[in-house]
Amino acid sequence: MVSEQKYWNPFLETLPLEKLQALQLKKFRNIFEWAYEHSRFHRSLYEKAGIKPEDIRSIADIKHVPTVEKSMMRDIQRKEPFPYGDALCVPLEEVSEFRQTSGTTGQPVYQPDTWQDWEWWSECWAFILWAQEYRPSDRVFIPFGYNVFVAFWAGHYAAEKIGAEVVPGGVLDTQARILKIQELRCTAMMATPTYVLGMADAARNKLGIDPASLTISKITCAGEPGASIPTTKKRMEEAWGAKVYDHAGATEIGAWSFECESQPGGLHVNEAFFLVEIQDIDTGEYIEEPGKRGKMIITALDRVAQPCIRFDSKDVIEWSPDPCPCGRTFRLIKGGVVGRADDITKVKGVLLSPSAIEEVVRGIDGLGDEFEVVVDKVGDIDRITLKVEIVKGRESERQKIEGVLKDQLRLKTNLGYVLEFHDYGTLPRYDVKAKRFKDLREKH
Amino acid sequence: MNHMGEETNLKEIKSKVLLMRKTAEELKNEAGNFPALYRNLSRILASIKMMELNVPDAPEHGNEG
Repeated sequence: MVSEQKYWNPFLETLPLEKLQALQLKKFRNIFEWAYEHSRFHRSLYEKAGIKPEDIRSIADIKHVPTVEKSMMRDIQRKEPFPYGDALCVPLEEVSEFRQTSGTTGQPVYQPDTWQDWEWWSECWAFILWAQEYRPSDRVFIPFGYNVFVAFWAGHYAAEKIGAEVVPGGVLDTQARILKIQELRCTAMMATPTYVLGMADAARNKLGIDPASLTISKITCAGEPGASIPTTKKRMEEAWGAKVYDHAGATEIGAWSFECESQPGGLHVNEAFFLVEIQDIDTGEYIEEPGKRGKMIITALDRVAQPCIRFDSKDVIEWSPDPCPCGRTFRLIKGGVVGRADDITKVKGVLLSPSAIEEVVRGIDGLGDEFEVVVDKVGDIDRITLKVEIVKGRESERQKIEGVLKDQLRLKTNLGYVLEFHDYGTLPRYDVKAKRFKDLREKH
Repeated sequence: MNHMGEETNLKEIKSKVLLMRKTAEELKNEAGNFPALYRNLSRILASIKMMELNVPDAPEHGNEG
């Protein structure tokens, strides 16, 4: 009977928005007071801003609370209490979990969690998995290298929590993982979009197995925006014959949003556990209305060891104007995380989002899944080189494919490119997060 | 179930969860010399906290404080 229930939490997931916001205000006050009382870092930050817990009486008051940036966390860490420094709110002996950020944008940030925080992580993921139709009857394969990065760790624990059977893919190589999925008839999988496509490629070309012939019926993606990019999602779904779902989360924040079974073209924000605000990147004004993009300021409302209060995530998002047919009242962000405030790069004076290039490449029949973008300078002029592969057996169509690619790039990104066509299988392959965008201009 | 009915039901659930917390906390206080009990109760209390997060006090709409 439990398996037939549509919602993980039928109360919270259908709570009217005004009640959700009242709950968020109450929880924000609690976590703010907790951090104020237990973290020297937060207390100092708030005292400098002249804000005390009793000053927060409304959602509007929250906007006066200073934001926290990743660089601030880097500065306080590797000091006492070692290695977390002054943001730690609990005695060291209560920390039961260590994870760290990937360090893509600088020195990694350490993330301590108590066991309660770890339960909270998997609780957030339980909302995700239930909404994506994971049930106790599922056998979930998790093909990731269990290590210091949070990645799918909480997904593993959440799958256990909802009652599913978990098969940890751990240190198996790609081919062994595919064979294990086949051997055990696994029904679900979690991986980055890059790896989902890479596994499909390996199944076809190294093992002679059509991935769609396997028993995977749903795939949950994380780590990259691909599952919210329609053309990439389509490639993954067709390759595996499965529904592919996106979710967004981060080590310092938690798993804060998810795509539901309706696949509405956006992600629900778990507004019972997180407060999401959107700030205009240029003006700093807060955006309440749908359809206008800005960067996300987010608070994890129940995380205690190292609180995440008004964290400037740099993720670019926008509220969707439409409710979701699934009936959840958690608001949708349209198209998921559509970019990063720090990687939407200006090239030739035009804003370039790597996701826009991905959408074009993955939408063209005859091009392989892999690509690489290199931006450099010729004299004073920016140059963008796009490297792509033509799938085997389609080489004779290169001229036609090149024409379509040029037109689509111009249409979707307003930029011209130097196009390089490489033999299939020669561009780099990635197991986890791909590094397909290289900006070499600063080195000139 | 409508939200009115749910909230009545939730009150009962909440009071039972509170009872679980009290029992677990009492046991934990008595288990200082019994690591197997003490550590398992710590984990049970974390699970109870998750139930409390799932069935929170529903504040009335509007500003507080």
